Amino acid sequence: MQPKESDNPSESRPSGAGASDGRALAAAKRAQMRLRARRIRRTIATGAAGLFATAFLGIYVQLASGHDPALVAAAARRSSTSTNATASTKSGSSSGGESSSSGQSKTSTSSTSSGESSSTGEESSSSSSATESSEPSSVTTSQS
Amino acid sequence: MSLIPATTVATAVGPHLFWITSRAAGVAALILSSASVCVGLSMGRRVKGMTGPDLRVAHEALSLATLAALLVHGLTLLGDGFLKLSLSEVAIPFLSSYKTFWTSTGIIAFWGLALLGPSYYLRRLIGVQRWKKLHRFTALAWILGIVHSLGEGTDAGQTWFLAMTAIAVVPPLILLGVRWAGSYRPPRPIQARTE
Repeated sequence: MQPKESDNPSESRPSGAGASDGRALAAAKRAQMRLRARRIRRTIATGAAGLFATAFLGIYVQLASGHDPALVAAAARRSSTSTNATASTKSGSSSGGESSSSGQSKTSTSSTSSGESSSTGEESSSSSSATESSEPSSVTTSQS
Repeated sequence: MSLIPATTVATAVGPHLFWITSRAAGVAALILSSASVCVGLSMGRRVKGMTGPDLRVAHEALSLATLAALLVHGLTLLGDGFLKLSLSEVAIPFLSSYKTFWTSTGIIAFWGLALLGPSYYLRRLIGVQRWKKLHRFTALAWILGIVHSLGEGTDAGQTWFLAMTAIAVVPPLILLGVRWAGSYRPPRPIQARTE
């Protein structure tokens, strides 16, 4: 990648073949620029592919190790919904407001301790929050 | 290489393959678009080791790579078994019921980038000056994309994601601020003249 200007002897210009030399110089410069452009494009394409592969790998490892934020949140949500449902059936219909609020704070602590184990068969009970929940529900299969 | 690790990986990734791919492509698109905006805003300046044409080529390549990553990001969601999105829900804003606002922000940002970016190839047809004015709106689409990633991104609450976004986004934001500050010329105070 030597710049052609420095290679070219300056005494060749004043001589008779100046025009053809100039044309050759321009062509060489154009070729050099094209080569440089191709190298930049290739570098960026490789970098983009590498970036994607790194992100994919990172997210995959995060998911496989059970630290994926969405899956953990989904499991916690499911367990809290199930405990809410059981709490509401136990407390009956008379004192709904207060018991549900205390139930939620309980589930938030219990869900952190036993989030994944309780999230196996709650699909039918969590139908209302399924539309709200944002991430795949087949979490527990890959989180062990 | 034995077949066991490959099959293990395949079965583990299987249900989430499209989802992981979409997330990875989103992360790549965020970084690539930020780099593209950064290079685009640097084109009028002196950059060590790079000439004007080099920066133009880099800007073009980064923009095309961003569009490719965005296409992967959107299209892989069609295969996700949980979201079950249709093509219209992925392509048309305010149609998806899944986090409608944030999803729509992303779709609008994508269309902004997809229409304004390649308009470079039609700049003679559009008119160079008009195209230059139009091209400024790509920064707005980029900002919308960042808003989408922070609002809807699965990893948005993660430290690594926030750090990565800050590293990618802050330099072009500074350059954008400098560009806007440079283009804004406050009117001369009349009192200073009379005194």
